[in-house]
Amino acid sequence: MAGKAVRYTVSEIAKLGKDNIPPELLSGHGLVYSSPATLAYNSPGAEGFGVKRAGLAVPESVMLIVSPGCCGRNTSIVSSMPQYKDRFFYLMMDETDLVTGRHLKRIPEAVCEVVSFLDGQKGRKPKVVMICITCVDALLGTDMERVCMACENALGDGTRVRPCYMYALTREGRRPPMVHVRQTLYSLLEPLEKDPKSVNIIGNFAPLEDGELQRYLTKAGVKHIRQIATGSTYEEFLRMASANFNIVTNPEARASAHDMSQRLGIPYIELTRIHDVERTSLMYRSLANAVGIEIDTSAEEAEAMAAVNSLKEQFPDLTFNIGECINADPFELALSLSRYGFKVDEIYATLAPEKFKYVAKLSELSPDTKVFCNMDPTMLYYDVSASRAHISLGKDAAYYCPDIPNVAWNSDIQPFGFQGIRDLMNKITKTMKEVR
Amino acid sequence: MKGLRKVLTPFAPDQSGAVSVLYGLGGMTVIIDAGGCTGNICGFDEPRWHDVRSAVFSAGLRDMDAILGRDKLLVSKIAKACEKIDASFVALIGTPVPATIATDYKALKRMIENETSIPVLAIPTDGMQLYDEGEARAYKALFETFSADGGTLEKITLGKTPLTFGDGYEDNTLDDYKNIGENTKITACSASGIEAAKLLGKPYEIFSSAALEFADKIPSGKVLVCHDEVFGKTLRDKGIKCDIATFFTLHDEIREDGDRKITEEDEFTDLAMNGSYDVIVADECLKPLAEGFKGQWIDAPFFALSGRR
Repeated sequence: MAGKAVRYTVSEIAKLGKDNIPPELLSGHGLVYSSPATLAYNSPGAEGFGVKRAGLAVPESVMLIVSPGCCGRNTSIVSSMPQYKDRFFYLMMDETDLVTGRHLKRIPEAVCEVVSFLDGQKGRKPKVVMICITCVDALLGTDMERVCMACENALGDGTRVRPCYMYALTREGRRPPMVHVRQTLYSLLEPLEKDPKSVNIIGNFAPLEDGELQRYLTKAGVKHIRQIATGSTYEEFLRMASANFNIVTNPEARASAHDMSQRLGIPYIELTRIHDVERTSLMYRSLANAVGIEIDTSAEEAEAMAAVNSLKEQFPDLTFNIGECINADPFELALSLSRYGFKVDEIYATLAPEKFKYVAKLSELSPDTKVFCNMDPTMLYYDVSASRAHISLGKDAAYYCPDIPNVAWNSDIQPFGFQGIRDLMNKITKTMKEVR
Repeated sequence: MKGLRKVLTPFAPDQSGAVSVLYGLGGMTVIIDAGGCTGNICGFDEPRWHDVRSAVFSAGLRDMDAILGRDKLLVSKIAKACEKIDASFVALIGTPVPATIATDYKALKRMIENETSIPVLAIPTDGMQLYDEGEARAYKALFETFSADGGTLEKITLGKTPLTFGDGYEDNTLDDYKNIGENTKITACSASGIEAAKLLGKPYEIFSSAALEFADKIPSGKVLVCHDEVFGKTLRDKGIKCDIATFFTLHDEIREDGDRKITEEDEFTDLAMNGSYDVIVADECLKPLAEGFKGQWIDAPFFALSGRR
């Protein structure tokens, strides 16, 4: 067995069933390989939005990371980005803190010093201080709500202090860190009078690209479409509480949407990013029915279909390898590409029971597609030479397939809907043309 | 305020140092964490990860594993991986999680060795110490496990890892460590190298090749070198009169009057601004701590501080 990456075909996985997914393909069942995908999750400073970047999504906020030095080490990558300059601070724990918990008493003093430093030397007093704590405090059972309250009392000037839990230990739990951090951010919203012409799009920390969804809403009379990343002031962010309803574009924001429906009376509707033109059309029809508006998707639908057809005409036998560092669900993308008549040779992604709906359908169209798990230690031995793909999708797929063209498709700005499909197809066409 | 960082990001921790020494030796390195520590190491502190695949894995601990102390589960995960991965040894690297739950490394080592018949190096780092201490611990574990009498290795450099030397690092092989003998010429290239050389109990020289390129760039005047201690000592040995300041270990055999081990940002600011220095040789990431310094700043990149190679 030594020297070979473990993989299963989708046909094998489908036969085993949702309740018997091979443990090598699941998260939390073995040692974890440091693949680009696991690092993108585990090393939040390195790429994408991990807890640290996410915790600073609220405008005019700063973060105090209270942890052993190792937890904040890679933050220097994020700190070097202009929008994060002077926004990360550290209170480093030592062994005595670990044993006695004395660091908790020092946090209010540290928060006051940080706020005073920013107010005095930088002339920029923050509106919110996020206190990021890590696995150590998860195990110590620290009551961060009390600590944050003590900080707000010590500041005494209305500056909000909220906890931000970077608990990698709870990755497969009911509230994983990326779900929790969204709940924390939106918990800052206070009830406001409802504005029937306001809608929030909640899901990611960078905005959804300006596209058809916003146009459809505007056409239906919505005047204010707010996203956490589009406001430049804390006051603008707070106005999200006046929304008539929330549109959730990422399942990790579902718990936040639920909280907001309970606490602020804002109902929500969930939209899924899919790459099948027909199903995208159905999704918009459901949205129109749910909120009682008219949506005419014909123009965008035609554009997306034209982009798919153009790729198909120029590269009819195109075969893909798909990773998971991508603005798409790799299993859904594989299914959509297979429906268009393309081939998918390999998928590098962690499976989960909720993905099984895609795997089951994929097994009918492309039973030989192989699934490798980015987390499995045997990926150390992954060898691309057996793959017959022409192009890879996803940043991590480029690592596994260095000799074929790659479309990373992993920008912070999130593609969505017909526009997302159209742009992805056009990008693939352009990339393939360049290497032809 | 002690422990508060307003300008600098945390320095390379002990766990990164331990991995740095073991990287590429053909073992399986298991970082006993939930994933974040491994992410910091492979995604940031280990530049070789991008070029050379190595069996560095996270234990993938979850809250209940830690709360219930599921050592047997960890042993089983490692044993399963050993069936599929060729490894000449297993290294266990500690992080804050096992430090919090007081993991018994000796017991873990024994359990894994019984299960796999592969030698285990248990390195109880905790993420709260600095990289040079982790490197020293890794050398200690290597020597204890693999060194034998009668080795015939001609020479070896210790402490020349990417964390101190960036791209100028030098790899040893596992056979090198196995073959250290009575006549092996030992060069300690950094603080951890000195610590490792002391463990061997043999004569050694102290020398940093990284410092040499700076020797001709430093003008006359009062000079402060803030880097690894061996970097400073090598410059001093080349005739540069300087004070050494370091955030890492400062051994008595190097320390002279005016040298300082520093810990806090304020200490460096005080030294730079009030030490009457004409020249500072240090990583430029420290520059914001010395705003208004009127002398000459010579940038000496130091990966363990700034992550610059």
